[in-house]
Amino acid sequence: MEKMLEVKNLMVFFENALALNDFSMAVERGEIVGVLGSNSAGKTTLMNTISGLILDMKKKEERRGGERISVLGELKFEGEDILNKKPSERVKKGIVLSRERHPIFRDSDVVENLKIAGYLHKRHEVKERIDLTFKLFPHLQGMKKRKAGLMSGGEQQMLAIGIALVAKPRLLLMDEPLLGLSPMLQADLVRAIKNIRLAGITVLVTEQFARTLLPIIDRGYVIENGMLVFEGSRQELFDNPEVKSAYLGI
Amino acid sequence: MSLLIYGTITSIILALYAAGFSLAYGISGLANFAHGALYILTGYSVWTFLNQIGLPYFLSALLSVIIIGFLGFALYWGLLLRVRGVPLAELIVTFAAGIAILELLMWKGFYGIQYSLPLFVRGGVKLGGVAVDYQRLFVIGTGIVLVVLLYLFVHHTKIGLAFRGMAQNERTALSVGIESDWIGSLSLAAGSALAAVAAVVVLPLGVMESAIGYEVLIYALAVAIIGGLESTPGMILGSFIIGFGQVATAKYLGPKWMIIVPLVAIILVLAVRPSGLFGQFKELEERI
Ligand SMILES: Nc1ncnc2c1ncn2[C@@H]1O[C@H](COP(=O)(O)OP(=O)(O)OP(=O)(O)O)[C@@H](O)[C@H]1O
Ligand SMILES: [Mg+2]
Repeated sequence: MEKMLEVKNLMVFFENALALNDFSMAVERGEIVGVLGSNSAGKTTLMNTISGLILDMKKKEERRGGERISVLGELKFEGEDILNKKPSERVKKGIVLSRERHPIFRDSDVVENLKIAGYLHKRHEVKERIDLTFKLFPHLQGMKKRKAGLMSGGEQQMLAIGIALVAKPRLLLMDEPLLGLSPMLQADLVRAIKNIRLAGITVLVTEQFARTLLPIIDRGYVIENGMLVFEGSRQELFDNPEVKSAYLGI
Repeated sequence: MSLLIYGTITSIILALYAAGFSLAYGISGLANFAHGALYILTGYSVWTFLNQIGLPYFLSALLSVIIIGFLGFALYWGLLLRVRGVPLAELIVTFAAGIAILELLMWKGFYGIQYSLPLFVRGGVKLGGVAVDYQRLFVIGTGIVLVVLLYLFVHHTKIGLAFRGMAQNERTALSVGIESDWIGSLSLAAGSALAAVAAVVVLPLGVMESAIGYEVLIYALAVAIIGGLESTPGMILGSFIIGFGQVATAKYLGPKWMIIVPLVAIILVLAVRPSGLFGQFKELEERI
């Protein structure tokens, strides 16, 4: 069967530095797939390339006469080549990224944050998606009028995921959603990710440490210095001694 | 009493001058130095529709606002796109466009006292013993209506919400499908249209000349710099500080000193607190 997302021999250069080196991976409909990698491994670069944000960075750098960013390789979503599609076109197709370190709209309240995220969709759809967000994160429902910049890190992370959800993803990209959260909040969030899949959304998620995340992913990829070093099912990841010591801390 | 009333009117006029400039800057970080030129261009556009083509006043004004808004939009796609994100280049491009517009107006022969716009309604009233003409009351009304409309627009329409998203976090806005060039050009269009609205209501108070273009730009800059370049409450407060400063200066030192006020204010603020008097609240306060 045709894969939902297919990445083949992806190379991303920042000037002459290679951030992704011949990276290949795939995601099937309905899966939760993990990408494990330590600091500067290339996780964010991968997410930005799949979501198309990198094209915008590239354009800006070119206008500024700054560093040259090149993206080579193959990127397919449901069989269609999307490597040169704008971020907004990819959102329309259902690829939505929740960026790392929960960058929300700080001066707006919770509801307005979610409304802004509904830019591409009809009013009643946005309302439905906002309801879905509150169902997944009941905690947010109690703080609808709270200014986002004044919320705790955990609350901002929930909101950041809510923002992505309102944009109607079919493939949700999550860049280090657990970063900086307490173990209890991490457990809450992992439960939410499971429910997101139950709502019919495919998930691709990156992390540095996999201990909390591993139980819910179906498959995973390990990335080091922009290169794929290991791939396998949850069990295979769990059984691999190197993965165990580097990403599970066992 | 007259200080209070005329201070308020002057302040609202300044806020009208500055609103469009601050709006575009707040949303897309674009300092439109053609702002003043677009303001005065509006005046001549209304004049032409009214006197050369013979359209009704209201229609002339409406058409002019639309045309100027579209010019802002075209300025973005035609000239700014290539240098977008490079502030100094943006400044040079918009300033050059502004000068081109002003010189073109001069060349076309648009100077001299024969160019002025009629008052909407003649006459006036007494407010607490102070005579105020209807046109100035209209200016106050426009200021208030614009604030309300802008608030509703920005918080309750798709484009308005996209403006807010773009102003706060461009990347996150991008990641939910909001396009920065589209929103940037719309913000410049909205900012230019606001300059045009200001021109339509304020210009009938006096004679038109190209130099007003520079003056309006200086006022918009002064207000924006005092208020901290991207905050609405700051913008309104900035207008009132300069507005009352000017009226007091006119009263105690004489009217010719009025133009000194914004210049002194700019220099003082830049020397003491370059982020603007209200810049430090940037994160906490509502923008737009
Ligand atoms: N804009 C950029 N310009 C130059 N180099 C960059 C840029 N962005 C990323 N890099 C480099 O690309 C490599 C991968 O970075 P990336 O941000 O993708 O890593 P990451 O896995 O997300 O790391 P982290 O865990 O810190 O978020 C790093 O070596 C980084 O220095
Ligand atoms: Mg990262």
